[in-house]
Amino acid sequence: MLTPMIDRRTFLAGAAATTLLAPQLSASAQGRKTQRVVLVAFAGGVRTRETFGSPGNVPNLLGLAKEGVLYKRVKSSNLGHYGASLSLFTGVAEPRGIRENGRGEEPTVFEYVRKSLGLPASDVWIATSGGAQQTNYSYSVNSDYGARFGANTVDGDGLFNAEFKSIVNSLGRPKALDEREAALLARMKAAVGGPDARKALNSPESAAQVERFILEELTGGTADLRGPNAADAKAIRVARNLLVLFKPRLVAIVLQNADIAHTSFNGYVDVVRQNDAALGDLMRAIRADATLRDSTAVIVCPEFGRDRDLNSRRGLDHGDGSEDLEYVTAVAWGPDFARDRVIEEDVQAVDLCPTVCDLLGAGAPRVKASRLPRLFA
Amino acid sequence: MEQHSLTAGRGPDDPPTTSGAGQTHASPARPLGPAELRTATCDLLGRPPLRAEREAWLGKARHELLEQWVGGLEFWENWLEEQLYFFFLIDNFRPESEGVLALPAELAAGKLDVREATQRIALSASFDQRNPGADTFVTVVMEQLAGMTVQKNVRELEIGKAIYDGASGVFLGRTGKRQADIIDIAIRHRAFAQTFVVREYARFFGVEPPRKELAAWTNQLHSAPAEYAALVRDWLLSPEWEARVRARLPMSNRLFARALYVDLLDRLPDADEARRMRSALDGMSDSGPLRSVLARILIDSGAVKLPDKRAITDPRRWIWEQFRVLLGREASEDELNAFVEAFAAPECRPATVLYALVTHPQYQSY
Repeated sequence: MLTPMIDRRTFLAGAAATTLLAPQLSASAQGRKTQRVVLVAFAGGVRTRETFGSPGNVPNLLGLAKEGVLYKRVKSSNLGHYGASLSLFTGVAEPRGIRENGRGEEPTVFEYVRKSLGLPASDVWIATSGGAQQTNYSYSVNSDYGARFGANTVDGDGLFNAEFKSIVNSLGRPKALDEREAALLARMKAAVGGPDARKALNSPESAAQVERFILEELTGGTADLRGPNAADAKAIRVARNLLVLFKPRLVAIVLQNADIAHTSFNGYVDVVRQNDAALGDLMRAIRADATLRDSTAVIVCPEFGRDRDLNSRRGLDHGDGSEDLEYVTAVAWGPDFARDRVIEEDVQAVDLCPTVCDLLGAGAPRVKASRLPRLFA
Repeated sequence: MEQHSLTAGRGPDDPPTTSGAGQTHASPARPLGPAELRTATCDLLGRPPLRAEREAWLGKARHELLEQWVGGLEFWENWLEEQLYFFFLIDNFRPESEGVLALPAELAAGKLDVREATQRIALSASFDQRNPGADTFVTVVMEQLAGMTVQKNVRELEIGKAIYDGASGVFLGRTGKRQADIIDIAIRHRAFAQTFVVREYARFFGVEPPRKELAAWTNQLHSAPAEYAALVRDWLLSPEWEARVRARLPMSNRLFARALYVDLLDRLPDADEARRMRSALDGMSDSGPLRSVLARILIDSGAVKLPDKRAITDPRRWIWEQFRVLLGREASEDELNAFVEAFAAPECRPATVLYALVTHPQYQSY
């Protein structure tokens, strides 16, 4: 995992070469143009009232809907943030504890895609904003899948918080190794035997690439983002940079800051607006990239909504079983999708997993869901 | 900064062919080797042993170490940190109230037991803020304190939510009428003792406890929660724990951050250093690449006192010592040969040897 430190130019060249050499970059399933997918869990509990019900809050999402497909009634499950978001990735609505810090039983979309397409870990990523718990989305404990098919997860607020950057600033960056020393180091590491309790997600090559990405991000601007949606904004920024640098096949983004709604309705609306703006930045990066703009699909969906009425703190909880809580609105945008199509019929939030797998040509044998209907042009 | 195990001089952990310190008499029962000492210290104190502790304890009897450490202040400080992490009361939600901060001292003094300590954590403002609203609060209490699946106990959830809002109701078999009652009821339920034993056993052994023993330990903890420390002592004297030492368990991110500072600097990170590092590592599903980055950052920072290569007169012994300190085990002949051969090359520095060990996946287990 240790490699000589390199400058940005070399790093970018390496990333580009990796992209060119990556397997399975031919057109995905059934001759479609879609070769990569960005799946955004617009999570934290977001009602339709504050998104598509208040167009001024989400101009960028509206723009996506105009050029894509809008699903107005997506049935979600009140499984807590963790369980509900996990179900978007597994295609199975399985109960999970709200604060449970354990992996799910069912394989995730990342495992399906990596296993089916034979992709390296550097081709499948999740950028999260919710800390340690959300790293569990990466892979399941299913014995046929698991860590060896998991996604690389980067939690923007954890890794790229300003305090951590200050550690790097105070201690300095690792020194570059010359070629000979790097070879000696590799030889010594290879000589170490004995048990390895870790189940590494990354191959040594992939891990080295991740190492370089981390160092690049630390010296970029991601750690400097502030505000009530800072963690979400960092997750979106990380995903944007990953897309542009690595051009991975699948990037998921998991947001969370909207949960401020428990105590502040206004704060929640502010987060929704700012996250829409950050998604606008992401879309501009995709549209500006010649490789990405005609090959990338973007799907955005909350994990569930929020209660119909304000609580005693003038906030919004999530537990009343109302339609506001259980039905959300999703949007899908991409080169193969219909434009300006509105779907009024009920679909399921868990349908996202098989839909993404289908788009990329991967099988998803354990999902308990269907592909989103009437998606294609 | 004081030099320690990374220096070129002889330490207490010299090869067995020399007369090692701390072994002046016949070997005691269950003597502490590098693996047992490193693992026990990590298990009990959430960090590897400091140099002085290695000097003091290598070769001594395990039960003596347990007598001294289990139930002490640092043991309970580590226990509290583990509990706060379990409840995700970390970073912005970390409790700063005097009541919670005083827990390790009160536990060490025998003024509290683990059940009362857990209750105080759950009654903290941080717990309430971390779990806002009736639905979230009651769900978390049911799941984390009583080990229940709320989706299978919807009626209890609804009753709990009503109590949270000030109504009277029978929750888990007892009457409650305010938010604090929900915690009190859950924590005095037998299910709490069982959930607690399962969680703590998994922390030490990496697996769930055997069913038969679980029932006995649950009964023991439910009736006498102050017996927790004695239970931990028993666990660490068991053959199962010895097997777990040989198999090794992955280090948590918190433990890794603390181990890195102890192993390389012979001191613990301060609270801020530890939090920043742990928080960053928590952001990765595979924190291995970032752990490597952090290890190299620390080694290259100048804070680690490394001997000059010319001062290492016996490279084989110096490398052998690094294996004991950093990996908690003896190096094999093949490993020693490969390292010594690499070290002979002019481009290989002492730091290169440290890179090889602390960035190796094996360093991330104990």
